[in-house]
Amino acid sequence: MSGRKAKKDDDEYVDIDDATDTHENEDAQQGGYSWEEEYKRSWDVLQEDAEGRLSSVVAHLQQQMKRRRLLRDTATVQRGIIRHLFLVIDLSEAMNEKDLRPSRLELTLTYARQFVTEYFDQNPISQLGIIVIRDGVAERLTDLSGNPTDHLRALKNKRNQETSGEPSLQNALDMACASLVNVPSHGSREVLVVYGSLTTCDPGDIYDTIAQLKKEHVRVSFVGLAAEIQVCRTLCKETNGSYGVVLNEAHFKDLLFEAIPPPAVTQTRNTSNLVMMGFPTKSNDLHPSFCVCHSKLTVGGYICPRCSSKICELPTDCDVCGLTLVSSPHLARSYHHLFPVDNFIEVPWSGINSLHCFACQTAFDSSPPPGAGLESNSGRYSCPRCHNQFCVDCDIFVHEVLHNCPGCWAAGSNISTVQIHSKKQPAIQNDVMPMQGVTS
Amino acid sequence: MIFNIDDLTVHFPYDKIYPEQYHYMCDLKKALDAQGHCVLEMPSGTGKTVSLLALIVAYQMHHRNQQRKLVYCSRTVPEIEKALAELKRLIAYRQSCGLEEDFFALGLTSRKNLCLHPVVSKERKNRVVDTKCRELTASWVRAAAGKTRGGEATEAPPEQTAEQASIELCGFYEQLEATNVPNPIPNGVYTLEDLKEYGKRMKFCPYYLSRRAISFANVVIYSYHYLLDPKVADLVSKELSKDCIVVFDEAHNIDNVCIESLSIDLTRPVLDASARSVALLAERIEEIKRTDAEKLKREYSRLVEGLRDASAARDEDSYMSNPVLPDDLLKEAVPGNIRRAEHFVAFLRRFIEYLKTRLRVMHVVAETPVSFLQHLKDVTYIERKPLRFCAERLTSLVRTLELSDLDDYGSLQKVAGFATLVSTYDKGFLLILEPFETDTATVPNPILHFTCLDASLAIRPVFERFSTVVITSGTLSPLDMYPKILDFSAVVQESYSMTLTRKCFLPMMITRGSDQVAISSKFEVRNDPAVVRNFGQIMVEFAKAVPDGIVCFFPSYLYMESIVSMWNDMGILNEAWKHKLIFVETPDAAETTLALDNYRKACDNGRGAILLSVARGKVSEGIDFDHNYGRAVIMFGIPYQYTESRILKARLEYLRDNHHIRENDFLTFDAMRHAAQCVGRVLRGKTDYGLMVFVDKRFARADKRSKLPKWINENVMDASTNLSTDMAIASAKKFLRSMAQPYDANQMGISLWSVKDIETKGYKRSTVIAK
Repeated sequence: MSGRKAKKDDDEYVDIDDATDTHENEDAQQGGYSWEEEYKRSWDVLQEDAEGRLSSVVAHLQQQMKRRRLLRDTATVQRGIIRHLFLVIDLSEAMNEKDLRPSRLELTLTYARQFVTEYFDQNPISQLGIIVIRDGVAERLTDLSGNPTDHLRALKNKRNQETSGEPSLQNALDMACASLVNVPSHGSREVLVVYGSLTTCDPGDIYDTIAQLKKEHVRVSFVGLAAEIQVCRTLCKETNGSYGVVLNEAHFKDLLFEAIPPPAVTQTRNTSNLVMMGFPTKSNDLHPSFCVCHSKLTVGGYICPRCSSKICELPTDCDVCGLTLVSSPHLARSYHHLFPVDNFIEVPWSGINSLHCFACQTAFDSSPPPGAGLESNSGRYSCPRCHNQFCVDCDIFVHEVLHNCPGCWAAGSNISTVQIHSKKQPAIQNDVMPMQGVTS
Repeated sequence: MIFNIDDLTVHFPYDKIYPEQYHYMCDLKKALDAQGHCVLEMPSGTGKTVSLLALIVAYQMHHRNQQRKLVYCSRTVPEIEKALAELKRLIAYRQSCGLEEDFFALGLTSRKNLCLHPVVSKERKNRVVDTKCRELTASWVRAAAGKTRGGEATEAPPEQTAEQASIELCGFYEQLEATNVPNPIPNGVYTLEDLKEYGKRMKFCPYYLSRRAISFANVVIYSYHYLLDPKVADLVSKELSKDCIVVFDEAHNIDNVCIESLSIDLTRPVLDASARSVALLAERIEEIKRTDAEKLKREYSRLVEGLRDASAARDEDSYMSNPVLPDDLLKEAVPGNIRRAEHFVAFLRRFIEYLKTRLRVMHVVAETPVSFLQHLKDVTYIERKPLRFCAERLTSLVRTLELSDLDDYGSLQKVAGFATLVSTYDKGFLLILEPFETDTATVPNPILHFTCLDASLAIRPVFERFSTVVITSGTLSPLDMYPKILDFSAVVQESYSMTLTRKCFLPMMITRGSDQVAISSKFEVRNDPAVVRNFGQIMVEFAKAVPDGIVCFFPSYLYMESIVSMWNDMGILNEAWKHKLIFVETPDAAETTLALDNYRKACDNGRGAILLSVARGKVSEGIDFDHNYGRAVIMFGIPYQYTESRILKARLEYLRDNHHIRENDFLTFDAMRHAAQCVGRVLRGKTDYGLMVFVDKRFARADKRSKLPKWINENVMDASTNLSTDMAIASAKKFLRSMAQPYDANQMGISLWSVKDIETKGYKRSTVIAK
């Protein structure tokens, strides 16, 4: 949860003081002297409203930005919830640029740490690895594993934060691809690249690598920090990935975190639908015993249901019998990706039906501000199923944290969700059973 | 989509139409109705060609009894191909809409591009192909081989002698000649490739086939030169009827094409070669005298009769006039002193000797044709009148002597053409003798420039003959300049803006470096290290901020070389190499092509590249840098012409005296149209985006800016006309970021119209005009 708190901290999208109506750059103190800063045309962003005030415009901007992230596709599609993702971070000299505060590099590393935490939070049965590129070489910081602490430690290591030389996209992709070809076919293969440079120094033809990635069904997504590069655009298009270029710090985060919900499965590679999984029991021994993963004496741990060897952490593959080991809460957490809450609909002033937010009971404005039409947004959002109306903050909370609509639960109308949970109960047994990993 | 403009039903082969395309068609139709000329400027990449073709074809089909043929002139072979493909698509669409029409269109290009002959087509040079082709197809060669035209061929004696059999002929040409049908090709639209394909199948020579078929075509697409170059136009285009619709596409450079087609440079090698040719001619005449004296006699009597046939034809108004062959000439007979072949040869010899002595002068001479003729007369007693007939007389002699390898006579033809032109025109031409190539050279390399100063001379016959001439391009601003320098009046002059849903290009004028030093390519400061360093700084900073390809333009090769070597000393190139590869355009075509290929490769694989090129070079004119091949164009300095050039000075003077155009206006106009042409390379369509950076403090001035095309000028914000490097980089970064965002393609009603939009908005527009 700490990751989520951190996220809330820098959710201040627009730094505007309504009282003074000026757009002072408040984080100047972080970025050195003002004359060292880049030339900014902050006044271009703002437009006055009909009465010459900025506050309503600002409020509107803020709300829009909050909502933007929410509007995702809620259709029930097949998603691979067992993911294998390589996070590739550019550590070339271009990352020293200060056009993102405090610098591209520091921001990237901060967000990368948040990303790792959030990724495992939302995808507990998935694995992650980190690759950095500098001096034209790719360097693997961590192998694919399901343990966030290793990754976080690697990211915090000072030595891994130095930048130098030019990046080589091809080397990084080759390295990621070499690791990803070995993962079982039921898991998704993904690469997410955070790329600050506008050039790549490759040893060979990058189009060969793209063809290879395409053949192995590796999905490559890009977050560009400066501008659109054609080869990256092609790469993402070929491999069905997404390509985004950041506008500002907040947008960077949005783009990066778009990779957190699991992507839809492409129809081409649907070789296995059923995955063998084990749900190990927690060992309650008072005496230390050896674990198979580190060969150390430890107290506690998990016992593999098939071969009874002891493992330190979940989720993982059993080192002895190779069984995929997860705990049932992990699996349950991954479920909401498959059955997301519907997007709430903006309510115009003509369609209001309550004066309080259904969830937090905050009072709404009862009448439109002067000048606003009946069809303009009233700041309320309604669930398309239960038609209760929520404030924007609750809207975000429901979609990002709860993954259930309180209105529907109160009315008992969210039948499908209830069914899912009732179905899920028998699955939580400490025994080997076939389980649908990739559900439609 | 199908829609109406007034009473004309236009079939447009796409579902949607850009508003500017619609307006373009409306204005074009006005010009056609009024049977007048027009100047239309429309941004590149907005589908100029297709709207033009769609409207004119619709017009042709609507007024079927008028038979107005469309003659579409473009600049290069690829452009001709593109236009043909577009036309093919249009006609296919019209047919799919259920229109049954007899439509015939084709393109015409040189023998080299069309030849099917197994040996000849292997040649690479245009001239060689032409010569070899003539060797196989000339009438006397064929006569010698026992074949004559048409039906007589069958009457020829069946027993051919061994000698006749050994003469090689072109099978494709013979096959074509053997057919009796006037137009041996079925209706349809033929691209150059289709034409070759058809030729191959039917064993017809595509080149002569297309030459022959031109008179039957509804649409002919070929290069400028077929209409403007007097030598070629005489062969190909003189039979075009009066009510043809002539279109010059990409016509921003048309005045230079006109001038080039009438200017002649004579050098010592040219004169030596022509002296040799004259000697050859003399030998040949002796030979013919011995073998077939009758032939020369026949020629003589024909010349006595004069060029009466040609004159009659012109009176009937069936031919286009030729600037090299003025009207009054036709009414006269060839003067007596050059009527006999040997006299003519002696005449030529004397003239060439005179020119040779002129070239020996070691100081610069500039004189008018009148004074040149006077001096000529004083020294050699050559009169003006025989000189005027020189070109005609030479052609006649070559025909009589049955010489097919015209290649050898190229120089002589040049001299003869010079003689005719110099004696025909008193005004609009100037002779300039430059004994040295540069001011500092010590070895003389004399060149006699016979330069045309008046672009209207070459194009006048076109304007006079054809009722509608359309001049169109992406960069024609200021629009009133072209009617002035080409001396015609236009019924419609229009410049269209580009309707965009997002601002997909950002013009910026950088006037000072980060250190606030004003930067300019002005002569006094152009080599100032502070300015050069600032130029370099701009390139490096943009190399850091812009992805993929950047194209930089310099005013001249010389200046580019000096800047690049200074950059090298300053370490700027090393800095730029860290971010992108650097390629340089050179005057050598093969080298430049290689550089371009590698530049494209570097842009494709993400390495990124900078191309350094020159504003009037090959790259600036014909090469597109769409999408990733050009995300930014940087224009270093204003591409003024080399103002010290004597030819340019003479032309400026002429323009001032005769067309009332001030020198400075013309120079700025010329510089800005080249600048616009250069920066226009970056944007080829509405999904494309790019930066246009003008680096010179003089760009900020209103007189320069106002000469940019409307569609660029509209997007120049006041805030971006006077930027320093760092300010420009900041806005460039912001622009690139915003352009990289997913593009909401919903342009309906704004920059894309459906039939409905046309009905509502188009109607509105016409009512506004009516008011």
